[in-house]
Amino acid sequence: MTSRALGQYYPVASPVHALDPRAKILATAVFVVGLFLVDSTVGMLFVAAALVALVGFCRIPAGTFARFMRPVLFIVALTVVFQVFFSREGPTLFMWGFFEVHTGGLRLGFFLALRILLLVSSAGLLTATTAPVALADGIEDLLSPLKRLRFPAHEVAMMMTIALRFIPTLGAEAEKIRGAQAARGADFSEGGPLRRARSLVPVLVPLTVGAFRRADELAEAMESRGYRGGEGRTRYRELHFGKRDALALIVTVLILLVGILL
Amino acid sequence: MRLELRDVSHVYAPGTSFEVEALRGVYLTVEQGEVLGIVGGTGSGKSTLVQHMNLLLAPTSGDVLVDGIDARTLHKSELRRRVGLVFQFPEAALFAPTVEEDVAFAPRQLGLDEGEVGERVGESLRAVGAGELAVRSPFALSGGEKRRVAIAGVLAMKPEVLVLDEPTAGLDPATREELLDLILGLREVGISVVLVSHDLDEVAEVADRICALHEGKVSATGTPAEVFYSEPAQAPATVQVTFILRASKPGIGTPVRFEETLQALRALRGG
Repeated sequence: MTSRALGQYYPVASPVHALDPRAKILATAVFVVGLFLVDSTVGMLFVAAALVALVGFCRIPAGTFARFMRPVLFIVALTVVFQVFFSREGPTLFMWGFFEVHTGGLRLGFFLALRILLLVSSAGLLTATTAPVALADGIEDLLSPLKRLRFPAHEVAMMMTIALRFIPTLGAEAEKIRGAQAARGADFSEGGPLRRARSLVPVLVPLTVGAFRRADELAEAMESRGYRGGEGRTRYRELHFGKRDALALIVTVLILLVGILL
Repeated sequence: MRLELRDVSHVYAPGTSFEVEALRGVYLTVEQGEVLGIVGGTGSGKSTLVQHMNLLLAPTSGDVLVDGIDARTLHKSELRRRVGLVFQFPEAALFAPTVEEDVAFAPRQLGLDEGEVGERVGESLRAVGAGELAVRSPFALSGGEKRRVAIAGVLAMKPEVLVLDEPTAGLDPATREELLDLILGLREVGISVVLVSHDLDEVAEVADRICALHEGKVSATGTPAEVFYSEPAQAPATVQVTFILRASKPGIGTPVRFEETLQALRALRGG
Protein backbone atom coordinates (compact mmCIF):
# COMPACT_ATOMS: atom_id res chain seq x y z
CA MET A 1 0.00 0.00 0.00
CA THR A 2 2.93 2.28 0.66
CA SER A 3 4.76 1.51 -2.56
CA ARG A 4 4.31 4.29 -5.07
CA ALA A 5 3.34 3.53 -8.60
CA LEU A 6 3.17 5.47 -11.82
CA GLY A 7 0.11 7.68 -11.85
CA GLN A 8 -0.10 8.06 -8.10
CA TYR A 9 -0.39 11.44 -6.41
CA TYR A 10 2.78 12.51 -4.63
CA PRO A 11 1.63 14.90 -1.92
CA VAL A 12 4.26 17.58 -1.29
CA ALA A 13 4.05 21.36 -1.41
CA SER A 14 5.61 22.72 -4.60
CA PRO A 15 4.90 25.55 -7.03
CA VAL A 16 3.72 22.96 -9.55
CA HIS A 17 1.37 21.31 -7.06
CA ALA A 18 -0.15 24.72 -6.39
CA LEU A 19 -1.00 25.40 -10.04
CA ASP A 20 -4.56 25.32 -11.31
CA PRO A 21 -5.31 21.76 -12.44
CA ARG A 22 -6.67 23.11 -15.74
CA ALA A 23 -3.34 24.78 -16.46
CA LYS A 24 -1.55 21.51 -15.80
CA ILE A 25 -3.93 19.47 -17.92
CA LEU A 26 -3.66 21.91 -20.82
CA ALA A 27 0.12 22.11 -20.46
CA THR A 28 0.34 18.32 -20.52
CA ALA A 29 -1.85 18.21 -23.62
CA VAL A 30 0.32 20.84 -25.33
CA PHE A 31 3.40 18.90 -24.30
CA VAL A 32 2.14 15.58 -25.62
CA VAL A 33 1.01 17.00 -28.96
CA GLY A 34 4.14 19.15 -29.29
CA LEU A 35 6.36 16.17 -28.60
CA PHE A 36 5.19 14.56 -31.83
CA LEU A 37 6.22 17.65 -33.78
CA VAL A 38 9.76 17.65 -32.39
CA ASP A 39 11.74 15.86 -35.06
CA SER A 40 15.38 16.52 -34.26
CA THR A 41 17.45 14.78 -31.61
CA VAL A 42 18.75 18.15 -30.39
CA GLY A 43 15.21 19.42 -29.98
CA MET A 44 14.22 16.27 -28.11
CA LEU A 45 17.20 16.62 -25.79
CA PHE A 46 16.27 20.24 -25.13
CA VAL A 47 12.71 19.25 -24.17
CA ALA A 48 14.07 16.40 -22.03
CA ALA A 49 16.34 18.84 -20.16
CA ALA A 50 13.35 21.10 -19.54
CA LEU A 51 11.37 18.17 -18.16
CA VAL A 52 14.18 17.18 -15.81
CA ALA A 53 14.21 20.75 -14.51
CA LEU A 54 10.43 20.54 -14.07
CA VAL A 55 10.74 17.37 -11.97
CA GLY A 56 13.02 19.40 -9.71
CA PHE A 57 10.39 22.16 -9.47
CA CYS A 58 7.82 19.57 -8.42
CA ARG A 59 9.99 18.65 -5.39
CA ILE A 60 9.78 14.98 -6.31
CA PRO A 61 13.08 13.21 -5.55
CA ALA A 62 14.71 12.14 -8.84
CA GLY A 63 15.11 8.57 -7.55
CA THR A 64 11.43 8.31 -6.67
CA PHE A 65 10.44 9.63 -10.07
CA ALA A 66 12.81 7.21 -11.78
CA ARG A 67 11.09 4.38 -9.90
CA PHE A 68 7.72 5.66 -11.17
CA MET A 69 9.05 4.99 -14.66
CA ARG A 70 10.09 1.41 -14.08
CA PRO A 71 6.97 -0.19 -15.62
CA VAL A 72 7.55 1.56 -18.98
CA LEU A 73 11.17 0.54 -19.27
CA PHE A 74 10.17 -2.75 -20.89
CA ILE A 75 8.32 -0.98 -23.70
CA VAL A 76 11.19 1.46 -24.12
CA ALA A 77 13.71 -1.38 -24.33
CA LEU A 78 11.53 -3.23 -26.84
CA THR A 79 11.27 -0.10 -29.03
CA VAL A 80 15.04 0.39 -29.02
CA VAL A 81 15.68 -3.26 -29.90
CA PHE A 82 13.20 -3.15 -32.79
CA GLN A 83 14.62 0.05 -34.21
CA VAL A 84 18.22 -1.08 -33.87
CA PHE A 85 17.63 -4.41 -35.60
CA PHE A 86 15.11 -3.52 -38.26
CA SER A 87 16.22 -0.14 -39.45
CA ARG A 88 18.83 -0.22 -42.20
CA GLU A 89 19.58 3.46 -42.51
CA GLY A 90 23.05 4.94 -42.50
CA PRO A 91 26.45 3.26 -42.35
CA THR A 92 26.69 -0.26 -40.90
CA LEU A 93 28.24 -0.48 -37.47
CA PHE A 94 27.99 -4.19 -36.80
CA MET A 95 26.96 -7.35 -38.60
CA TRP A 96 26.26 -10.85 -37.34
CA GLY A 97 24.39 -13.25 -39.58
CA PHE A 98 21.38 -11.37 -40.77
CA PHE A 99 21.54 -8.95 -37.82
CA GLU A 100 22.77 -5.59 -38.92
CA VAL A 101 23.14 -2.55 -36.74
CA HIS A 102 23.15 0.79 -38.51
CA THR A 103 23.78 4.25 -37.09
CA GLY A 104 20.38 5.38 -38.35
CA GLY A 105 18.65 2.63 -36.38
CA LEU A 106 20.60 3.51 -33.28
CA ARG A 107 19.71 7.16 -33.63
CA LEU A 108 16.04 6.41 -34.28
CA GLY A 109 15.86 3.95 -31.38
CA PHE A 110 17.32 6.50 -29.00
CA PHE A 111 14.99 9.20 -30.33
CA LEU A 112 11.86 7.07 -29.95
CA ALA A 113 12.89 5.83 -26.50
CA LEU A 114 13.30 9.43 -25.40
CA ARG A 115 9.91 10.33 -26.85
CA ILE A 116 8.14 7.51 -25.00
CA LEU A 117 9.90 8.35 -21.75
CA LEU A 118 8.96 12.02 -22.10
CA LEU A 119 5.34 11.20 -22.95
CA VAL A 120 4.96 8.95 -19.94
CA SER A 121 6.82 11.29 -17.60
CA SER A 122 4.68 14.26 -18.58
CA ALA A 123 1.51 12.33 -17.83
CA GLY A 124 3.14 10.93 -14.68
CA LEU A 125 4.04 14.44 -13.53
CA LEU A 126 0.46 15.60 -14.03
CA THR A 127 -0.96 12.87 -11.81
CA ALA A 128 1.91 13.09 -9.32
CA THR A 129 1.40 16.82 -8.75
CA THR A 130 -2.40 16.99 -8.98
CA ALA A 131 -4.69 15.44 -6.39
CA PRO A 132 -7.20 13.08 -8.05
CA VAL A 133 -10.15 15.23 -7.02
CA ALA A 134 -8.53 18.39 -8.39
CA LEU A 135 -7.75 16.53 -11.59
CA ALA A 136 -11.39 15.49 -11.98
CA ASP A 137 -12.54 19.06 -11.22
CA GLY A 138 -10.16 20.36 -13.86
CA ILE A 139 -11.35 17.87 -16.46
CA GLU A 140 -14.97 18.66 -15.70
CA ASP A 141 -14.30 22.33 -16.17
CA LEU A 142 -12.40 21.83 -19.42
CA LEU A 143 -15.14 19.58 -20.75
CA SER A 144 -17.97 21.86 -19.67
CA PRO A 145 -18.26 23.64 -23.06
CA LEU A 146 -19.29 20.24 -24.41
CA LYS A 147 -22.33 20.27 -22.12
CA ARG A 148 -24.11 22.25 -24.85
CA LEU A 149 -23.69 19.20 -27.05
CA ARG A 150 -25.31 17.18 -24.26
CA PHE A 151 -22.00 15.68 -23.22
CA PRO A 152 -22.34 14.71 -19.52
CA ALA A 153 -19.16 16.48 -18.37
CA HIS A 154 -20.07 16.55 -14.71
CA GLU A 155 -21.12 12.92 -14.63
CA VAL A 156 -17.92 11.80 -16.35
CA ALA A 157 -15.83 13.75 -13.86
CA MET A 158 -17.84 12.38 -10.94
CA MET A 159 -17.35 8.84 -12.21
CA MET A 160 -13.61 9.44 -12.43
CA THR A 161 -13.49 10.88 -8.92
CA ILE A 162 -15.41 7.94 -7.49
CA ALA A 163 -13.31 5.39 -9.36
CA LEU A 164 -10.10 6.99 -8.09
CA ARG A 165 -11.48 7.31 -4.59
CA PHE A 166 -12.33 3.61 -4.38
CA ILE A 167 -9.02 2.21 -5.60
CA PRO A 168 -7.48 2.13 -2.10
CA THR A 169 -10.77 0.95 -0.58
CA LEU A 170 -10.99 -1.98 -2.95
CA GLY A 171 -7.30 -2.66 -2.43
CA ALA A 172 -7.80 -2.96 1.31
CA GLU A 173 -10.86 -5.14 0.76
CA ALA A 174 -8.93 -7.43 -1.58
CA GLU A 175 -6.19 -7.74 1.03
CA LYS A 176 -8.73 -8.74 3.68
CA ILE A 177 -10.41 -11.33 1.46
CA ARG A 178 -7.03 -12.73 0.49
CA GLY A 179 -6.24 -13.13 4.17
CA ALA A 180 -9.56 -14.83 4.87
CA GLN A 181 -9.07 -17.29 2.00
CA ALA A 182 -5.45 -17.91 2.98
CA ALA A 183 -6.74 -18.80 6.45
CA ARG A 184 -8.93 -21.40 4.71
CA GLY A 185 -5.92 -22.90 3.01
CA ALA A 186 -5.90 -20.96 -0.28
CA ASP A 187 -2.43 -20.69 -1.75
CA PHE A 188 -1.77 -17.87 -4.20
CA SER A 189 1.86 -18.56 -4.91
CA GLU A 190 2.05 -22.24 -5.83
CA GLY A 191 1.46 -23.99 -9.13
CA GLY A 192 1.59 -22.88 -12.74
CA PRO A 193 -0.01 -19.73 -14.17
CA LEU A 194 -3.35 -21.48 -14.73
CA ARG A 195 -3.57 -22.76 -11.17
CA ARG A 196 -2.55 -19.40 -9.82
CA ALA A 197 -5.18 -17.65 -11.92
CA ARG A 198 -7.78 -20.11 -10.68
CA SER A 199 -6.71 -19.52 -7.09
CA LEU A 200 -7.78 -15.90 -7.53
CA VAL A 201 -11.44 -16.83 -8.10
CA PRO A 202 -12.18 -17.02 -4.35
CA VAL A 203 -10.82 -13.46 -4.07
CA LEU A 204 -12.30 -11.90 -7.21
CA VAL A 205 -15.87 -13.17 -6.73
CA PRO A 206 -16.39 -11.67 -3.26
CA LEU A 207 -14.49 -8.54 -4.31
CA THR A 208 -16.88 -8.00 -7.23
CA VAL A 209 -19.93 -8.73 -5.09
CA GLY A 210 -18.59 -6.25 -2.53
CA ALA A 211 -17.98 -3.60 -5.20
CA PHE A 212 -21.58 -3.82 -6.40
CA ARG A 213 -22.85 -3.63 -2.83
CA ARG A 214 -20.67 -0.58 -2.21
CA ALA A 215 -21.93 1.05 -5.41
CA ASP A 216 -25.51 0.60 -4.23
CA GLU A 217 -24.72 2.01 -0.83
CA LEU A 218 -22.86 4.96 -2.30
CA ALA A 219 -25.72 5.75 -4.68
CA GLU A 220 -28.15 5.74 -1.77
CA ALA A 221 -25.86 7.86 0.39
CA MET A 222 -25.49 10.40 -2.44
CA GLU A 223 -29.20 10.54 -3.12
CA SER A 224 -30.03 10.88 0.55
CA ARG A 225 -27.81 13.96 0.58
CA GLY A 226 -29.69 15.43 -2.31
CA TYR A 227 -27.32 14.66 -5.16
CA ARG A 228 -29.11 15.14 -8.46
CA GLY A 229 -26.24 15.42 -10.92
CA GLY A 230 -24.37 18.48 -12.10
CA GLU A 231 -27.29 20.88 -12.71
CA GLY A 232 -26.80 24.00 -10.55
CA ARG A 233 -24.24 22.30 -8.39
CA THR A 234 -21.69 24.57 -6.69
CA ARG A 235 -18.16 23.64 -5.69
CA TYR A 236 -16.46 23.56 -2.33
CA ARG A 237 -13.12 24.29 -3.98
CA GLU A 238 -13.38 26.91 -6.69
CA LEU A 239 -10.74 26.82 -9.39
CA HIS A 240 -8.80 30.02 -10.03
CA PHE A 241 -6.82 30.45 -13.18
CA GLY A 242 -4.23 33.07 -12.17
CA LYS A 243 -1.21 34.77 -13.71
CA ARG A 244 1.08 31.98 -12.60
CA ASP A 245 -1.08 29.41 -14.32
CA ALA A 246 -1.04 31.41 -17.54
CA LEU A 247 2.72 31.81 -17.23
CA ALA A 248 3.21 28.06 -16.74
CA LEU A 249 1.18 27.40 -19.86
CA ILE A 250 3.11 29.99 -21.90
CA VAL A 251 6.46 28.61 -20.75
CA THR A 252 5.37 25.11 -21.79
CA VAL A 253 4.36 26.33 -25.24
CA LEU A 254 7.66 28.19 -25.62
CA ILE A 255 9.73 25.17 -24.60
CA LEU A 256 7.92 23.02 -27.15
CA LEU A 257 8.30 25.70 -29.85
CA VAL A 258 12.05 25.86 -29.25
CA GLY A 259 12.17 22.05 -29.30
CA ILE A 260 10.29 21.94 -32.61
CA LEU A 261 12.47 24.64 -34.23
CA LEU A 262 15.79 23.16 -33.09
CA MET B 1 -2.64 -27.78 21.49
CA ARG B 2 -0.94 -24.89 23.20
CA LEU B 3 -0.32 -21.72 21.28
CA GLU B 4 2.18 -19.26 22.63
CA LEU B 5 3.20 -15.79 21.53
CA ARG B 6 6.50 -14.72 22.95
CA ASP B 7 7.58 -11.08 22.91
CA VAL B 8 5.76 -10.48 19.63
CA SER B 9 6.00 -7.04 18.07
CA HIS B 10 4.60 -5.95 14.75
CA VAL B 11 5.37 -2.81 12.80
CA TYR B 12 3.37 -1.95 9.69
CA ALA B 13 5.33 -0.38 6.82
CA PRO B 14 8.63 -0.12 8.69
CA GLY B 15 11.03 2.54 7.51
CA THR B 16 8.40 4.68 5.80
CA SER B 17 6.45 7.69 6.99
CA PHE B 18 3.42 5.37 7.35
CA GLU B 19 5.17 3.29 10.03
CA VAL B 20 2.80 2.11 12.75
CA GLU B 21 3.78 0.04 15.76
CA ALA B 22 0.72 -2.17 16.16
CA LEU B 23 2.04 -4.68 18.70
CA ARG B 24 4.76 -4.15 21.26
CA GLY B 25 6.24 -7.09 23.10
CA VAL B 26 3.11 -9.21 23.49
CA TYR B 27 3.32 -12.36 25.62
CA LEU B 28 0.27 -14.57 25.41
CA THR B 29 -0.65 -18.23 25.68
CA VAL B 30 -3.75 -20.07 24.55
CA GLU B 31 -4.01 -23.24 26.63
CA GLN B 32 -5.53 -26.49 25.36
CA GLY B 33 -9.32 -26.38 25.54
CA GLU B 34 -9.76 -22.94 27.01
CA VAL B 35 -11.73 -19.96 25.85
CA LEU B 36 -9.45 -16.93 25.83
CA GLY B 37 -11.15 -13.58 25.49
CA ILE B 38 -9.16 -10.73 23.96
CA VAL B 39 -10.57 -7.33 24.75
CA GLY B 40 -9.39 -3.83 23.94
CA GLY B 41 -10.53 -0.66 22.26
CA THR B 42 -10.43 0.19 18.57
CA GLY B 43 -6.84 0.33 17.37
CA SER B 44 -5.49 -1.60 20.36
CA GLY B 45 -4.00 -4.23 18.05
CA LYS B 46 -6.56 -7.02 18.48
CA SER B 47 -6.94 -7.82 14.80
CA THR B 48 -3.20 -7.58 14.18
CA LEU B 49 -2.62 -9.92 17.10
CA VAL B 50 -4.95 -12.66 15.89
CA GLN B 51 -3.38 -12.66 12.43
CA HIS B 52 -0.12 -13.66 14.10
CA MET B 53 -1.72 -16.80 15.49
CA ASN B 54 -1.63 -18.53 12.09
CA LEU B 55 1.20 -16.35 10.76
CA LEU B 56 -0.90 -14.54 8.17
CA LEU B 57 1.19 -11.72 9.54
CA ALA B 58 4.74 -12.50 10.52
CA PRO B 59 6.00 -10.87 13.70
CA THR B 60 8.55 -8.11 13.15
CA SER B 61 10.26 -9.56 16.20
CA GLY B 62 9.39 -12.33 18.65
CA ASP B 63 8.17 -15.90 18.23
CA VAL B 64 4.97 -17.84 17.78
CA LEU B 65 5.16 -21.33 19.29
CA VAL B 66 2.86 -24.27 18.64
CA ASP B 67 3.25 -26.87 21.39
CA GLY B 68 6.67 -25.37 22.00
CA ILE B 69 7.74 -25.58 18.34
CA ASP B 70 8.52 -22.44 16.34
CA ALA B 71 5.47 -21.97 14.09
CA ARG B 72 7.68 -20.73 11.24
CA THR B 73 9.17 -24.21 10.92
CA LEU B 74 5.72 -25.75 10.37
CA HIS B 75 4.27 -25.97 6.88
CA LYS B 76 1.99 -22.99 6.29
CA SER B 77 -1.03 -25.07 5.31
CA GLU B 78 -0.52 -27.30 8.36
CA LEU B 79 -0.40 -24.29 10.67
CA ARG B 80 -3.49 -22.71 9.06
CA ARG B 81 -5.43 -25.94 9.42
CA ARG B 82 -4.55 -26.31 13.09
CA VAL B 83 -5.23 -22.67 13.90
CA GLY B 84 -8.51 -21.75 12.23
CA LEU B 85 -8.88 -18.01 11.85
CA VAL B 86 -12.27 -16.41 11.26
CA PHE B 87 -11.80 -12.80 10.21
CA GLN B 88 -14.03 -9.94 11.20
CA PHE B 89 -17.09 -9.94 8.90
CA PRO B 90 -16.07 -13.31 7.43
CA GLU B 91 -19.17 -13.31 5.21
CA ALA B 92 -17.32 -10.85 2.94
CA ALA B 93 -15.22 -13.80 1.72
CA LEU B 94 -18.07 -16.12 0.68
CA PHE B 95 -17.66 -16.88 -3.00
CA ALA B 96 -19.03 -20.25 -4.14
CA PRO B 97 -22.38 -20.77 -5.91
CA THR B 98 -23.74 -22.82 -3.01
CA VAL B 99 -23.18 -22.85 0.72
CA GLU B 100 -22.04 -26.48 0.51
CA GLU B 101 -19.31 -25.70 -2.00
CA ASP B 102 -18.16 -22.69 -0.05
CA VAL B 103 -17.77 -24.68 3.16
CA ALA B 104 -16.06 -27.45 1.16
CA PHE B 105 -13.35 -25.04 -0.02
CA ALA B 106 -11.04 -25.46 2.96
CA PRO B 107 -11.30 -29.27 3.30
CA ARG B 108 -10.70 -29.60 -0.46
CA GLN B 109 -7.59 -27.45 -0.16
CA LEU B 110 -6.44 -29.98 2.44
CA GLY B 111 -6.69 -32.66 -0.24
CA LEU B 112 -9.29 -34.80 1.51
CA ASP B 113 -11.36 -37.26 -0.51
CA GLU B 114 -14.88 -36.20 -1.50
CA GLY B 115 -16.55 -38.49 1.04
CA GLU B 116 -14.63 -36.93 3.89
CA VAL B 117 -15.23 -33.46 2.48
CA GLY B 118 -18.98 -34.06 2.37
CA GLU B 119 -19.00 -35.36 5.93
CA ARG B 120 -17.10 -32.35 7.22
CA VAL B 121 -19.35 -29.93 5.36
CA GLY B 122 -22.44 -31.52 6.90
CA GLU B 123 -20.87 -31.61 10.35
CA SER B 124 -19.71 -27.99 10.34
CA LEU B 125 -22.98 -26.67 8.97
CA ARG B 126 -24.91 -28.55 11.65
CA ALA B 127 -22.51 -27.25 14.30
CA VAL B 128 -23.42 -23.65 13.42
CA GLY B 129 -27.09 -24.52 13.04
CA ALA B 130 -27.10 -24.02 9.28
CA GLY B 131 -27.64 -27.60 8.12
CA GLU B 132 -30.70 -26.67 6.07
CA LEU B 133 -28.86 -23.96 4.12
CA ALA B 134 -26.49 -26.35 2.31
CA VAL B 135 -27.93 -25.99 -1.20
CA ARG B 136 -28.74 -22.28 -1.01
CA SER B 137 -26.63 -19.54 -2.58
CA PRO B 138 -24.52 -17.83 0.07
CA PHE B 139 -25.40 -14.47 -1.47
CA ALA B 140 -29.12 -14.98 -0.88
CA LEU B 141 -28.82 -15.54 2.89
CA SER B 142 -29.53 -13.15 5.74
CA GLY B 143 -26.62 -11.48 7.54
CA GLY B 144 -26.72 -13.90 10.47
CA GLU B 145 -26.95 -16.94 8.21
CA LYS B 146 -24.00 -15.73 6.14
CA ARG B 147 -21.94 -15.27 9.28
CA ARG B 148 -22.71 -18.80 10.47
CA VAL B 149 -21.92 -20.33 7.09
CA ALA B 150 -18.62 -18.43 6.94
CA ILE B 151 -17.65 -19.76 10.37
CA ALA B 152 -18.58 -23.28 9.25
CA GLY B 153 -16.12 -22.77 6.36
CA VAL B 154 -13.29 -22.56 8.89
CA LEU B 155 -14.66 -25.23 11.24
CA ALA B 156 -14.55 -27.69 8.32
CA MET B 157 -10.75 -27.74 8.65
CA LYS B 158 -11.24 -29.23 12.15
CA PRO B 159 -8.90 -26.71 13.73
CA GLU B 160 -7.40 -27.32 17.16
CA VAL B 161 -7.60 -23.63 17.95
CA LEU B 162 -10.44 -21.53 16.59
CA VAL B 163 -9.76 -17.80 16.50
CA LEU B 164 -12.84 -15.61 16.09
CA ASP B 165 -12.33 -11.90 15.40
CA GLU B 166 -15.46 -10.00 16.49
CA PRO B 167 -17.76 -12.88 15.52
CA THR B 168 -20.92 -11.30 16.94
CA ALA B 169 -20.51 -7.79 15.50
CA GLY B 170 -23.80 -6.71 13.95
CA LEU B 171 -25.69 -9.92 14.79
CA ASP B 172 -29.15 -10.16 16.28
CA PRO B 173 -29.34 -11.33 19.91
CA ALA B 174 -30.60 -14.84 19.05
CA THR B 175 -27.79 -15.56 16.57
CA ARG B 176 -25.33 -14.12 19.06
CA GLU B 177 -26.53 -16.51 21.76
CA GLU B 178 -26.20 -19.45 19.36
CA LEU B 179 -22.68 -18.42 18.52
CA LEU B 180 -21.68 -18.20 22.17
CA ASP B 181 -23.20 -21.64 22.74
CA LEU B 182 -21.15 -22.93 19.81
CA ILE B 183 -17.99 -21.59 21.46
CA LEU B 184 -18.81 -23.38 24.71
CA GLY B 185 -19.61 -26.56 22.76
CA LEU B 186 -16.23 -26.45 21.05
CA ARG B 187 -14.48 -26.05 24.37
CA GLU B 188 -16.28 -29.14 25.59
CA VAL B 189 -14.66 -31.25 22.86
CA GLY B 190 -11.21 -29.87 23.65
CA ILE B 191 -10.90 -27.15 21.03
CA SER B 192 -9.38 -23.91 22.22
CA VAL B 193 -11.21 -20.76 21.25
CA VAL B 194 -9.80 -17.26 21.05
CA LEU B 195 -12.65 -14.77 21.14
CA VAL B 196 -11.80 -11.21 20.15
CA SER B 197 -14.50 -8.79 21.10
CA HIS B 198 -15.16 -5.35 22.41
CA ASP B 199 -18.42 -6.56 23.89
CA LEU B 200 -17.34 -7.11 27.49
CA ASP B 201 -20.63 -8.80 28.42
CA GLU B 202 -20.20 -11.64 25.97
CA VAL B 203 -16.55 -12.10 26.87
CA ALA B 204 -17.58 -12.27 30.53
CA GLU B 205 -20.12 -14.97 29.66
CA VAL B 206 -17.82 -17.43 27.90
CA ALA B 207 -14.14 -16.67 28.59
CA ASP B 208 -12.03 -18.74 30.96
CA ARG B 209 -9.26 -16.20 30.78
CA ILE B 210 -9.03 -12.68 29.46
CA CYS B 211 -6.22 -10.75 27.87
CA ALA B 212 -6.70 -7.00 27.71
CA LEU B 213 -4.81 -5.07 25.04
CA HIS B 214 -4.06 -1.40 25.14
CA GLU B 215 -2.13 0.39 22.40
CA GLY B 216 -0.47 -2.81 21.27
CA LYS B 217 0.54 -3.96 24.74
CA VAL B 218 -1.00 -6.55 27.05
CA SER B 219 -2.37 -4.44 29.90
CA ALA B 220 -3.87 -7.31 31.92
CA THR B 221 -4.31 -11.08 31.79
CA GLY B 222 -6.10 -13.42 34.14
CA THR B 223 -9.51 -14.84 34.88
CA PRO B 224 -12.43 -12.56 34.05
CA ALA B 225 -12.92 -11.88 37.77
CA GLU B 226 -9.28 -10.90 38.24
CA VAL B 227 -9.13 -8.65 35.20
CA PHE B 228 -12.52 -6.98 35.60
CA TYR B 229 -12.40 -6.43 39.37
CA SER B 230 -8.91 -4.92 39.18
CA GLU B 231 -10.05 -2.43 36.52
CA PRO B 232 -13.82 -1.97 37.09
CA ALA B 233 -13.89 1.11 34.85
CA GLN B 234 -13.32 -1.25 31.92
CA ALA B 235 -15.60 -4.05 33.07
CA PRO B 236 -19.12 -5.08 32.10
CA ALA B 237 -22.00 -3.20 33.72
CA THR B 238 -22.79 -6.12 36.06
CA VAL B 239 -19.27 -6.04 37.47
CA GLN B 240 -19.43 -2.26 37.90
CA VAL B 241 -22.59 -2.68 39.99
CA THR B 242 -21.25 -5.51 42.17
CA PHE B 243 -17.97 -3.65 42.57
CA ILE B 244 -19.80 -0.76 44.21
CA LEU B 245 -21.90 -3.13 46.35
CA ARG B 246 -18.74 -4.89 47.51
CA ALA B 247 -17.68 -1.80 49.47
CA SER B 248 -20.50 -2.41 51.98
CA LYS B 249 -21.27 -6.06 51.25
CA PRO B 250 -17.99 -7.94 50.69
CA GLY B 251 -19.96 -11.22 50.90
CA ILE B 252 -21.18 -10.71 47.34
CA GLY B 253 -17.89 -12.12 46.03
CA THR B 254 -16.64 -11.50 42.52
CA PRO B 255 -19.36 -12.72 40.15
CA VAL B 256 -18.78 -12.01 36.47
CA ARG B 257 -21.37 -13.92 34.44
CA PHE B 258 -24.88 -12.54 34.42
CA GLU B 259 -26.36 -15.64 36.07
CA GLU B 260 -23.69 -15.65 38.75
CA THR B 261 -24.37 -12.01 39.46
CA LEU B 262 -28.12 -12.62 39.79
CA GLN B 263 -27.49 -15.52 42.17
CA ALA B 264 -25.10 -13.47 44.28
CA LEU B 265 -27.62 -10.65 44.50
CA ARG B 266 -30.40 -13.09 45.46
CA ALA B 267 -28.17 -14.64 48.12
CA LEU B 268 -27.44 -11.16 49.47
CA ARG B 269 -31.12 -10.34 49.74
CA GLY B 270 -31.99 -13.67 51.32
CA GLY B 271 -29.12 -13.58 53.82
